[in-house]
Amino acid sequence: MKKESTLMYILRLTVTLLAICAVVALALAGVNTITKDQIAANKAAKTTAALQQVLPGVTDVTEVSFTDATGTVRKVYKGESGYAVEVAPNGFGGAITMMVGVSAEGQVLGISVISHAETPGLGAVAAANTDKGVSFRDQFAGLVSGITIGDGENQISAISGATISSQAIVDGVNAALECVKKLG
Amino acid sequence: MDFKKQLKEGLLTKNPVLAQLLGMCSTLAITTSLFNGLGMGAAVTIILICSNVLISALRKVIPSQIRIAAYIVIIAGFVTMVDLLLQAFLPDLAESLGVFIPLIVVNCVILGRAEAFASKNGVLASAVDGLCQGIGYTVALVVMCVIRELLGSGTFGGGLLGENGAGIQIFPADFAALQMIMPVGGFLTMGFVVAGFQWLLRKVENKKKEGSK
Repeated sequence: MKKESTLMYILRLTVTLLAICAVVALALAGVNTITKDQIAANKAAKTTAALQQVLPGVTDVTEVSFTDATGTVRKVYKGESGYAVEVAPNGFGGAITMMVGVSAEGQVLGISVISHAETPGLGAVAAANTDKGVSFRDQFAGLVSGITIGDGENQISAISGATISSQAIVDGVNAALECVKKLG
Repeated sequence: MDFKKQLKEGLLTKNPVLAQLLGMCSTLAITTSLFNGLGMGAAVTIILICSNVLISALRKVIPSQIRIAAYIVIIAGFVTMVDLLLQAFLPDLAESLGVFIPLIVVNCVILGRAEAFASKNGVLASAVDGLCQGIGYTVALVVMCVIRELLGSGTFGGGLLGENGAGIQIFPADFAALQMIMPVGGFLTMGFVVAGFQWLLRKVENKKKEGSK
């Protein structure tokens, strides 16, 4: 057998890897096309569900444009009974996207976590549909701007073992309250 | 090809987690509820079978100098596909496992089997190897999940059974040691499970030796 020249050797390696990459990329594009709409629909359904949860009885919302300096506020929706503010404070495992319902008087109506990457069993409790998670989120109802962690007035108790996640959610709620204050 | 032998290796003598100590990162991180363990185990098993089959089929085409790069591209492709499919059709599981699904790319179990088995054996044998190793991985995860969940939150079957998937409460959560579902509990459980497993293996081996004498 003839010895392969250096050029042929380099070409063989490159072309093989290129071919593998191209095939994988094509397959991924295929899967992406199949799942894209479903993923978008899942996200939209979650946003709608979150809106319903934080603004009880809401039927029609309009998006309000709002830019804040901190960058925590993502989107603001105005409904009949108040505002729903989508905020994304930084938690333990990245941004926690959540919806905060705020009444026109500047009180928290409810909060709902849309997506997060907090530690399972600890920070994730804040978003979970368990008794613990629900009672954590229910603490916020009726509070006004400037919420802190503690057990006094306008304070909430953190989830044990998840101080950073709890603080992130408090930050997000405060940002939403500030935002509505500025708008109202 | 010997299915029985491969299954025994995957489950016991060459268990990816308990004997080869591969894929520790996700093992320590996600074993906090039964749902996570089963979901992660299933995802890894599927990816392991797919990547083993493809790498085995291409084992004569891929030049050995660039094999690692080629394996990683193939594995990353399958992982991303599984990630997208989970997000589309099982959003609950995708959310619960979070970043650990994309991180399967760097899970040593998969690259390890590609290098140690699929690159040297036929397609069918590699598929069986992927299945057996995947089962071994899943069983190890589930064992750790059950221990950590029971001691850490006092429940069984979290994410699957009980009201709202909260799991069946075995004893009140107030008596549970929260540390067990934190990273430190992961390391502790891992250590004890591996030690117990090795002790059992050794015992069985010694008995066999004595029996053959």
